[in-house]
Amino acid sequence: MSETAGDAKPEVKQASKEVKESENVAEKYSAMTVSKNSEINMGELSSVFSAVPTHKPVKKQIQFVEEKQEFSRFPTKTGRRSLSRSISQSSTDSYSSAASYTDSSDDETSPRDKTQVNSKGSSDFCVKNIKQAEFGRREIEIAEQDMSALISLRKRAQSEKPLAGAKIVGCTHITAQTAVLIETLVALGAQCRWTACNIYSTQNEVAAALAERGVAAFAWKGESEDDFWWCIDRCVNTEGWQPNMILDDGGDLTHWVYKKYPNVFKKIRGIVEESVTGVHRLYQLSKAGKLCVPAMNVNDSVTKQKFDNLYCCRESILDGLKRTTDVMFGGKQVVVCGYGEVGKGCSAALKALGAVVYVTEIDPICALQACMDGFRVVKLNEVIRLVDVIITCTGNKNVVTRDQLDRMKNGCIVCNMGHSNTEIDVASLRTPELTWERVRSQVDHVIWPDGKRVILLAEGRLLNLSCSTVPTFVLSITATTQALALIELYNAPEGRYKQDVYLLPKKMDEYVASLHLATFDAHLTELTDEQAKYLGLNKNGPFKPNYYRY
Amino acid sequence: MAKDKNQKGGSWMDLALPEDFPEPYTEERAEEEEEDTEEAAKDRAVKCSPTLLRMLKAAESRWTPHFRDKAELSELGLKATEAEALKTNMKIQVSDQQEEFNKPPTKAGPRPLSHSVSQSSADSFSSVGSVSSEDECPPQEKLQKTSQGLTDFCIKNIKQAPFGRKEIDIAQQGMPALMILRKRAGGEKPLAGAKVVGCTHITAQTAVLIETLAALGAQCRWAACNIFSTQNAVAAALAEGGISVFAWKGESEDDFWWCIDRCVAADSWEPNLILDDGGDLTQWIYKKHPSLFKKLKGIVEESVTGIYRLYLLSKAGKLCVPAMNVNDSVTKQKFDNLYCCKESILDGLKRTIDVMFGGKQVVVCGYGEVGKGCCAALKGLGAVIYVTEVDPICALQACMDGLRVITLSEGIRHADMVITCTGNKNVVTREHFDRMRSGCIVCNMGHSNTEIDLASLRTRELKWHRVRPQVDHIIWPDGKRVVLLAEGRLLNLSCSTVPSFVLSVTASTQALALIELYNAPAGRYKQDVYLLPKKMDEYVASLHLPMFDAHVTELTEGQAQYLGISKHGPFKPNYYRY
Repeated sequence: MSETAGDAKPEVKQASKEVKESENVAEKYSAMTVSKNSEINMGELSSVFSAVPTHKPVKKQIQFVEEKQEFSRFPTKTGRRSLSRSISQSSTDSYSSAASYTDSSDDETSPRDKTQVNSKGSSDFCVKNIKQAEFGRREIEIAEQDMSALISLRKRAQSEKPLAGAKIVGCTHITAQTAVLIETLVALGAQCRWTACNIYSTQNEVAAALAERGVAAFAWKGESEDDFWWCIDRCVNTEGWQPNMILDDGGDLTHWVYKKYPNVFKKIRGIVEESVTGVHRLYQLSKAGKLCVPAMNVNDSVTKQKFDNLYCCRESILDGLKRTTDVMFGGKQVVVCGYGEVGKGCSAALKALGAVVYVTEIDPICALQACMDGFRVVKLNEVIRLVDVIITCTGNKNVVTRDQLDRMKNGCIVCNMGHSNTEIDVASLRTPELTWERVRSQVDHVIWPDGKRVILLAEGRLLNLSCSTVPTFVLSITATTQALALIELYNAPEGRYKQDVYLLPKKMDEYVASLHLATFDAHLTELTDEQAKYLGLNKNGPFKPNYYRY
Repeated sequence: MAKDKNQKGGSWMDLALPEDFPEPYTEERAEEEEEDTEEAAKDRAVKCSPTLLRMLKAAESRWTPHFRDKAELSELGLKATEAEALKTNMKIQVSDQQEEFNKPPTKAGPRPLSHSVSQSSADSFSSVGSVSSEDECPPQEKLQKTSQGLTDFCIKNIKQAPFGRKEIDIAQQGMPALMILRKRAGGEKPLAGAKVVGCTHITAQTAVLIETLAALGAQCRWAACNIFSTQNAVAAALAEGGISVFAWKGESEDDFWWCIDRCVAADSWEPNLILDDGGDLTQWIYKKHPSLFKKLKGIVEESVTGIYRLYLLSKAGKLCVPAMNVNDSVTKQKFDNLYCCKESILDGLKRTIDVMFGGKQVVVCGYGEVGKGCCAALKGLGAVIYVTEVDPICALQACMDGLRVITLSEGIRHADMVITCTGNKNVVTREHFDRMRSGCIVCNMGHSNTEIDLASLRTRELKWHRVRPQVDHIIWPDGKRVVLLAEGRLLNLSCSTVPSFVLSVTASTQALALIELYNAPAGRYKQDVYLLPKKMDEYVASLHLPMFDAHVTELTEGQAQYLGISKHGPFKPNYYRY
């Protein structure tokens, strides 16, 4: 980071015509920090973000047919709805250490009926107990330690306040990590009102700490469905405050605004959406011609994708299996179903521990990749009798069927790293002749009449959500991406973004990555002017064409 | 499967095929086929189309709406890089190569750099090319005849044909994908009526491709794209097999263009497809025989240079036929860069200097596909690896893969080896050289010979010692030695070989691109440069899976429906990164 910060040269010789007018965000930021000029008007700011030549609408092929819920239909809030959320955020449920502070709360009245006031006299919030703010602050401070990227973003951009005037209404998980994001947005000049996108995931004391600092937070752990929509409504529907940006996770907030307050969209500059479901809903809206503001799909940015899938799963497969079954991997025969990003991560981790890994795949290109990486590509039926562990990561349904479960050897471990809980046909195991025995939390032994046991983890739900934690570093990537997407949309000149769904510009994606390099003490090489010219690139990126595959 | 064994050939016949393969192609059917008129064969190809064309149609049905999207998008001025059969609006990053399309490039040296990596390196293992011929009179002036009486070719010596045939047979062993393609599609002759004029390296591997095209129904005329790379015996074998070949090793520049002209300007034969490597053939037709473009269905181009030239043409609005960029297809890219370099870095270093890697400190400059391959290979042997990178995303990938990201100046004093794979110039400068420790090995895996600043080493105080072919010791006045490999040129081209398997991926991609262009309904491809459709890319990969005895799982109807994709692919959206 110190390198970029040191680079405050005002004039960079532009090498290529295409990026002639582009300026580097990072450079601009650092230049600002150096000059300590706090009075920069909006005109200059928008020139900061006029940089980005790569923005394109996302014509993505959504592959989850069963999720094609109508946008007008209210999703039910009855269960944990983590599956429709982005992986990284939703898994915060499982390690909300702070939540234990509040579980013992003797107060049984609904937060909606309580009047609470923070130390500054504001009562425009609704949390479980404002008195927990101090605990929450501690949680947030711990999270800040691991989210240095957001902190350095605050430092770099604080003087120019790129979000000055932005009124952001947000609907995400409310955890210590999101709190760091929210407070970063505030530090960059935004006014925020926040609500939870999941009725269980809120950390009450974090919400209290946010409220104490003046962020209007409406969320508590264990909301009813009614409460959920009430909170969203309170966020949006307030006197003398109209949002101009939406940060959404799951699309519920967008949906509510679209249904109840369509005129709010007139003032909205853009929507930032991070979950697969939400992006899918936006895409449907856009297809129907009903999307009236630009929307940014941060879920598919390179950095976030790699971290949510490849890097995160590479670690959590080992973590999840160890925690639940204490299995030893050396020499074990493992079949990994699917060789996409998740499958690649799982296979690499298992191979490193000396497991014998087989891969099943439907896509010949991925199958060929598996071959070249030294894995045997087989059909599940060919190896089902031999394997000790079966891991599904296909995103498909019924990949492991009852027929295959019947043929497994005694002690075989079956788990799912993929998508939803459809990959293993668990329903077919709920028959009278099979005995289910819960041996630990998240671990079931399914016992056949002849005494054979199959070990099913997390009842076929996602192992990485149920049985392992998500490192803060991954959440930091997501949060930083969201913050930059908001900055980009807010500062984009009129006409750059139409009423469509866009991917985060590559320039911003690279910036997210560069903010995280400091953690590794990684020193980025800088192109010389001559080299930049030779490559036809801007010295400060973007460095790769759009079709580059990383 | 039993029927397959009727065909003569090698071990590829024993390979298991996925279950959804078409009826195997048998010799009996082949003979019937040959008796048919061309017209009938073509009809059949279009009508009955059991597999290959079914697949084409699957691609087509998904393809059309996308295309419409794309057209709309490009009107909006937005980059439609995600549409299928996408246009290559690629930003070419090699500004030094910005030669005018009108200027004939000089043929003075071997021109491997402007050609695809995989094909061009055929130079280095042209075992047949070494057959010394005592005959010194130029091939143009010789009258030669094949055993069938054909004289429409020009090669060194037709008598070498049996040697060449042997080479081709060996190459067939290493390229089972093309043999499977012959079998799968042979019955339907998807190229019946196609007249392909080609300009590529003429090696045993290309010969397998050419004969595959012929087996699929095409008529071919061929010239060499490089004046040194031709294997004379292979050219002879091709001619003997009835293909009009114009090529020999060691052509002059005049010969080179003469050969190309003879290919194109044949009486009563007008090509309708071009397969080019480097763009010379396209350029010649464009300059000398522009009328031929009227009949042309498309151009398939595989080299970076050629694509760049096509792109310039297209930008100038002068491209009057569709062109297919096969260089950037997923499968080919992965093999040319990641997998190939992963192996050749070790091979190249071992062959040249017999270095041991365990515990050595290696700096790899650049963490793109090539850099990723090099690092993975070296890590496997226990080397300590440092990476330098300019792109923060790639740098973060390196961090997460457990490699230290540094600047070259920080690591240079400790490095035992410096490997460049950036595609950039002057990555290792004289200043770095001066600070290296004695015995440091410097080599280039990237692009061209610009990455290492060699000019700065040609000074009086430094002594150069050639210790082996491709290995120079550069000695500083204080006795320090730096080991420079291949004079800074590409290590993988100079000091290691390219496996047939990689060439097979390239050749299959070219064959499928030709089939796609030839069979595409009018209007699918406009006058622009396209990427190979994903469906075809997946098909290339599937052709290579039998070599690994890999069994691809098939989607059930229910699963396909759940995912919203066809059972036969394409399986991934276009923006998928693999």
